[in-house]
Amino acid sequence: MKKIIIPLLLSVFLPSILKAEDVEFRAEAPQQVVVGKPFTLRYTVNQRARDLQAPDFSNFDFIAGPYTSQSSSTSFVNGKRTSSFTLTYTYTLMGREEGTFTIQPATIRVDGNEYTSNGVRIQVLPADEQPVHNQTTTNKQNSNNSQGSTANVGISKDNIFIRTIVSKNRVNEQEALLLTYKLYFAGVDVAQFTQNTKIPEFSGFLKQELEQQEIQTELEHYNGRNYQTAVIYRTLLYPQHSGDITIDPAHFEAVLRVQVRQQVRSIFDDFFGSYTNVTRELTAPGTTIHVEALPTGKPAGFSGGVGQFTMTGDISTTELKANEAVTIRLNIQGTGNMKLLKTPAVDWPEGFETYDAKVTNNFKTTTQGVSGTKQIEYLAIPRAAGEYTIPPIKFAYFDTRDNQYKTLTVGGWTLHIARGENDETTSTVVQSYTNKEDIRQLGTDVRYIYTGPLTTTKAQSKKIVFGSWQHIICYIIPLLIAIILFIVFRRRIKENADIVRMRYKKANKVAQKRLKEAQKAMNEHNKQAFYEAIERAAWTYLSDRLNIPTANLNKENIVSILRSKQVDEQLIEEVKQVLSTAELARYAPSAESAMEQLYKQTSELIDKLENQKI
Amino acid sequence: MTSIKNIRNIIILLTCFLLTHNMNAQVSSDFQTANSYYDEQEYDKALEAYQLCLQENEGVVLSRKSKAQVYYNMGNAYFKQGNLSQSILAYERCLRLQPRNKDAKYNLEIAQSRIIDNLTDNSSFFVAKWAKAIRDLLTEQAWIVVSICLFLMTLIGILVFALSHYVSLRKASFHTAWIALILSIISFFNAGSLHHRDTDRTEAIITQGILNAKSSPDKSGTDLFTLHEGTKVNIKETLGDWCNISVGNNEGWIQTSHVERI
Repeated sequence: MKKIIIPLLLSVFLPSILKAEDVEFRAEAPQQVVVGKPFTLRYTVNQRARDLQAPDFSNFDFIAGPYTSQSSSTSFVNGKRTSSFTLTYTYTLMGREEGTFTIQPATIRVDGNEYTSNGVRIQVLPADEQPVHNQTTTNKQNSNNSQGSTANVGISKDNIFIRTIVSKNRVNEQEALLLTYKLYFAGVDVAQFTQNTKIPEFSGFLKQELEQQEIQTELEHYNGRNYQTAVIYRTLLYPQHSGDITIDPAHFEAVLRVQVRQQVRSIFDDFFGSYTNVTRELTAPGTTIHVEALPTGKPAGFSGGVGQFTMTGDISTTELKANEAVTIRLNIQGTGNMKLLKTPAVDWPEGFETYDAKVTNNFKTTTQGVSGTKQIEYLAIPRAAGEYTIPPIKFAYFDTRDNQYKTLTVGGWTLHIARGENDETTSTVVQSYTNKEDIRQLGTDVRYIYTGPLTTTKAQSKKIVFGSWQHIICYIIPLLIAIILFIVFRRRIKENADIVRMRYKKANKVAQKRLKEAQKAMNEHNKQAFYEAIERAAWTYLSDRLNIPTANLNKENIVSILRSKQVDEQLIEEVKQVLSTAELARYAPSAESAMEQLYKQTSELIDKLENQKI
Repeated sequence: MTSIKNIRNIIILLTCFLLTHNMNAQVSSDFQTANSYYDEQEYDKALEAYQLCLQENEGVVLSRKSKAQVYYNMGNAYFKQGNLSQSILAYERCLRLQPRNKDAKYNLEIAQSRIIDNLTDNSSFFVAKWAKAIRDLLTEQAWIVVSICLFLMTLIGILVFALSHYVSLRKASFHTAWIALILSIISFFNAGSLHHRDTDRTEAIITQGILNAKSSPDKSGTDLFTLHEGTKVNIKETLGDWCNISVGNNEGWIQTSHVERI
C-alpha cells in the first residue's frame, strides 16, 4: 500500500513545487533596426542558469557581449514573501544589410535541464540617405510660425509629417477599406496632440472607427530615411456610392519638444540642453478612392451584403399544433458590412401570424472590416391546421474574394400542423338579428347521429350501369319489338284494306249474279226464290260497296253512310224503297208484274250506285 | 346426377344466405359500438369503427341508404372533433348516396356556416338549381329505370297512334307519346349526370387550413386567391401533383394533396 501512496502524493505535490520555480527564458530585441546602427539583444532568465548557447549571429555584425548582469529582489506583502531573480545576458549587434532576419532560439541550462528561448525576428532597415536640408521649406514654415526664429531649428517637413494610408485605392461599393493616419517623425519628439484635430467627414462613406489602441512607435524606413512612426487614427470606411470619392485632408495639431539651439549663455544651459514646446499644425493629405459599382445582375433578395458570409439556420419544430409558436433561427457569420445587412425575409405561408424578427448582433471591428455574427429569430404562429411548406431562406451577397454574387440558402421546411385546442374555426358564434321571441336559438349544433338498423347487400349486385351495353339494349330491344309490331299490324291492315277493295270491285259482279238468279227464279215463277235473290243482291251489294260488316247491316246504317258520302237524296229514297219493297214482297206475295218491276228497279239502282263515286 | 347438383346448389345458396346474415349482424354490432363511442365522445374510436362498417366484408357491403347513414354519423363525429373539412366531406358523401337526407342537409349547412370562405353556389341561376334539385331526387339506378319505362310508354303510344282507327284514342296516345319521350330523355340525362358525378368525382373539399391558388401548376406561380378549409371546389383537370380547380368565377391551380374528392 505504501508503495502506491508515495508516488500518488508526489504526483499531487510535485507540480506545485515545480510551478513555483517555473523557468522563464526569453530573448528580446527591437523589431526594427537600421543598418550600421548597433542594437542590443537580451536574454533574460528568472533562475540561476549557466551554459548559455547563443545562436548564430551570422546575419549581423557581432560587436560585443555577452555581458551578464543579475538582480534579485524579495518583498513581503501581507506577510507573504515573494522573491524574484533575473539573470540577463546582453549582446550588442549591428545590422549588416537590409532585410528581415530571424535570430534562432538560444538554449540555457537550469539545474541540469535545458531550456530554449524564443526566436526573434528583426527587420533591418536601410541606413538614412544623405539628409536633405530643405532650407526653403523650413524658412517658409518658420515665417508661418509665430513661435519665433529661436524655436524652429530641426523642424521641417521631412522631420515630421502625417501620411494618409488607405488599404485599397480601388474598392467595390460597400467593401470595407481601412484608412490610417500615421505620424512619421525623426529627430523631434512629439509631446502630445492638442484638441484642435480636424478629421474630415468622409462624406460618401459609412465610417466605422476602430478602437484606439495604445500608441506604439515603430521604426520605419520611408523615403530613404528611418522614422519613428505611430498610428494616430484608424477608421474603416464603407463607400456608399460608386465613382471617385475624395477624402479631404485631415488637420492635426501637435505639440513638439524641440531642442533649442541658441547662443550658449551659460555652461549649465549647454550641459543640460534646452527644450521648448512648439505647436505645429500637421496636415494629412487628402486622397481619392475609386469606388466601383457592384456588377449588374443583382440576384433577387440581395441583402446589400458585401464581404464573405456563411449562414446557418434551423427551425424549432416541424410538428406542432395550431396556435403554437414556431421559431426559425438564422445565424449569419462573416466579415464585411455586417451592420448594413438586410435581414433575409422568410416567406411564411398564408395563415401564419408573423412577428418582427429579433436581431442580435455580435460584431467585432477589425482592420479587415466588421466581423462577427448576426442572429435573427423569426417567430410565427400558425392559425390553421394543415401541411405547409416554408421555402428555403435565401441570403444573397457580393463576395469580395471571388468578385461575384453568391446566394446562401438555408432550410426549406415542411410543417405539419395539427389541430389546436382552441382552433378559431371551431369557435361557435351564433348571430341572431331577430327581435321577435320565437324560439330562442341558444346555439347551433349538428343533429344527432342515426342509430337505426343497417341493411346490407351483396357487393356485386346486378345493376344497370349508365352507358353500358345492358343499358343501351334496354332501349333497343323495346324499339325493335315496337318496329316489328308496327310492321305486322300495318301488313294486316293493308291486307284488310285489300279485302274491302276486292269486295268493292266485285260488288257489281256479285249483284249481277244474284240478279241473274232472280231472273231465273222469275222465269220459273218461283216467287220465294226470286225475292230472296233480289233482297240478297241489294243487301250484299250495299254491304260490299259501302264496306259495312254484315252485323251492322240495316237500313238506318246504310242511309246514314250514304248520306255521309253525299249521295243524292233521290237515290237514297230509291234505295230505301227497293229494300222495303223486297222485304215486304217476301212475306206478302204480289203479282208477276210487280216481280218484273222490282227486278228492273233493282238492276237500275245498282247501275246508278255503280256510277256514283262512293 | 342432376338432382345431386341441384341439392348442392341449394346448400351453397343456404350457406351464402347464412353468411350474409352473419355479416349483417357483425356490421350492425360494429355500427352500434361506433355509436356508443360517439356517445362517450371518443370520436377517434368511433370514426375507426364507422370506417370498418363501410368496408366490404366477404362480398357483402352496406346498402346505399345504410352507407349514407354511416357517412352521416362520420360527419357528425368529425364535426364534434372540430375537423370541418372532413365533416363536410362526409355529409357530402352522405347526400350523394341519399340526396334527400334532411338531417345531413341541415348538418352540412351548419358545418358550412362555420367555414371561412363564403360559399356561393356555382350554379346560381335558379333553373340550374332546380335542375340539380330534380336530378338529386332519385338515384342513378332509379333514373335509368324511369327513363326505360317512359321510353316503353313512348313506344306504346306511337304504336297506338299509328294503328288505331279511333280519333280520340289516337289523339291521346300521340300526346302521351311525346310527353313520355321528353321525360324519358330528361331522365336519361339525369342518370348520365349522376353517373358522371359519381365516376369522375370532380367535386372536392379543401382539407388544408389555408392555401393559395396559383396561376400555374408550380410553386412559383402567382398567387391568385386564397381558399380556406372546407370550401367545395370543382376539379377540372389534374396535372401531376396539381389540379386545376374552379370556385365560383375563380380558377386556379392547387396541389392535389390539399383537396379530397367527394
